[in-house]
Amino acid sequence: MNAPAKADALLAVTGLSKHFPVMSRGFRPRPVRLIRAVDAISFELAAGESLGLVGESGSGKTTTARCILRAMQPTAGAVIFRREGAAPMDLVKLTDRQLKPLRQHMQMIFQDPFSSLNPRMTVGDIVAEPLRLHGLARGSACDERVVEMLQRVGLEADHRVRYPHAFSGGQRQRIGIARALIMRPALVVCDEATSALDVSMQAQVLDLLKELQQEFRLTYLFVAHNLDVVRNFCDRVAVMRHGKIVEQGETARLFADPQHPYTRLLLSAVPSPDPDVPMNFNVGEELAKLDEAAAGAADGFSSPARA
Amino acid sequence: MAVPDKIFSTNASPNILEVEDLRTHFTTDDGVMLAVDGVSFNVGRGRTLALVGESGSGKSVTSHSILRLIQPPGKIVGGRILLRSARLGDIDIARLNERSPMLYRVRGGVVSMIFQEPMTALSPVHTVGNQICEAILLHQPVKAAAAKVLAIDMLDKVGIPDPAHRFQQYPHELSGGMRQRVVIAMALVCRPELLIADEPTTALDVTVQAQVLGLIRSLQREIGCSVLLITHDFGVVAQMADEVAVMNRGRLVEQGSVRAVLKNPQHAYTQALLDALPSRRAAGR
Repeated sequence: MNAPAKADALLAVTGLSKHFPVMSRGFRPRPVRLIRAVDAISFELAAGESLGLVGESGSGKTTTARCILRAMQPTAGAVIFRREGAAPMDLVKLTDRQLKPLRQHMQMIFQDPFSSLNPRMTVGDIVAEPLRLHGLARGSACDERVVEMLQRVGLEADHRVRYPHAFSGGQRQRIGIARALIMRPALVVCDEATSALDVSMQAQVLDLLKELQQEFRLTYLFVAHNLDVVRNFCDRVAVMRHGKIVEQGETARLFADPQHPYTRLLLSAVPSPDPDVPMNFNVGEELAKLDEAAAGAADGFSSPARA
Repeated sequence: MAVPDKIFSTNASPNILEVEDLRTHFTTDDGVMLAVDGVSFNVGRGRTLALVGESGSGKSVTSHSILRLIQPPGKIVGGRILLRSARLGDIDIARLNERSPMLYRVRGGVVSMIFQEPMTALSPVHTVGNQICEAILLHQPVKAAAAKVLAIDMLDKVGIPDPAHRFQQYPHELSGGMRQRVVIAMALVCRPELLIADEPTTALDVTVQAQVLGLIRSLQREIGCSVLLITHDFGVVAQMADEVAVMNRGRLVEQGSVRAVLKNPQHAYTQALLDALPSRRAAGR
């Protein structure tokens, strides 16, 4: 299901894999098998586009996101990052030192607004930290940018002297967004950015992300398990299961006419707010059947393979 | 007290629970927080009532009040929580003494609860079997050996493969979905008349959520219990509940049948909540 490489893609991921060896117990541990958390996946992200990466927990979506940002070293594959006015670079091959100047162009928004903000730093320091780390601004210039960014995400200038505990979940998520966007990144990876929020707060944060996308021409890799959110936020969707992308395509097409049996099953399990649209409570058995059929056909959709 | 296989209603009331003008307040340095401020609703026998609202609306405080799990500075300052039990008769839970033996028979026996986060509801230092047996031994007149048989049977019923082996395992050895199944087994093993499910699937994947919801539904039918479902997901409400009550800032703004409320909301707040759903937003665009 590999699409042909487009020359204008901001991010082109080809054959990305991350395997974790499982060591034996005992005096001299040796690898006994391999967990293929991410197994040879390929996709592309055009500039200004949002790609949703959906799947169950354990399907490898977060590992994929981390490998792309090189928070983890992938086992194999290439991640080509093409920025306007710069030569394309393979993020997998760069050393940490070469990677550092690139980091300002790729930022992450985390799931848990409680654990992703340092409780001992003021909001001002949290938002200014990336600027200081990269030596991009200091003193009053830095302060100005922090205020401007806080106001842009719907917070106030006074908020920068307060600590994270004084804010609600939705406000904290805005702080996380301000910290990511103050660098004016090209690529933003949102790892379950709205999962911890309730519906109305989620709607507000999604609206904010949409506005900021147009304003700063951001490209989102949107990792989520909530299919409803992805359906309305992303231009394209890739469905992951057991470390592989089973299906990807335009959002409207994929939701209207899912091709892969797993995608169909996943969509049928979403409880609809319309009482007249019944949901499928039997997903467990159908998933098991799907796995059996896949194991029979040995086409690689079976559970994390042994090596 | 022998626990019957199916709950036969010896109580003439059509409701299992009648909550009337419940007020639970928290006294803090900054003043009194009216977490639940005059809430009234009924849960029909064998029916499912969903209590929906945003975080901070007071839905969890309501459910905790029903089991008298409110800790200081919180306090139930007024109202009536009438449990119309088939086994124990009519009990006003709000008026029971903190240490009354009746309260202990109600908790986990007649009314039991499924919590949102299975890892905090389970003890990390006791085996799964040990924890289910504890519930059985507290509420049923059986010996340890018989309790073990009951517990393994219940684990099997909630769809845990190889229940005899799982019986000896600790919660950390199970996945999130399996843990929530254990919590459900623990809650239903004493065949409660009312099950309070406080965001039972919020921490789970859609596929696991579908299985857990299906499980709650089929067990509800089997033992004939009523369910008070606390959630913020209108999808779960539409698929699981018969009636729905919408809560905002400690008050109920609207209640009625699921179909009536979701298809034709009367209150502006309910409308706003429904409009915030991603699927509705897309339709409106």
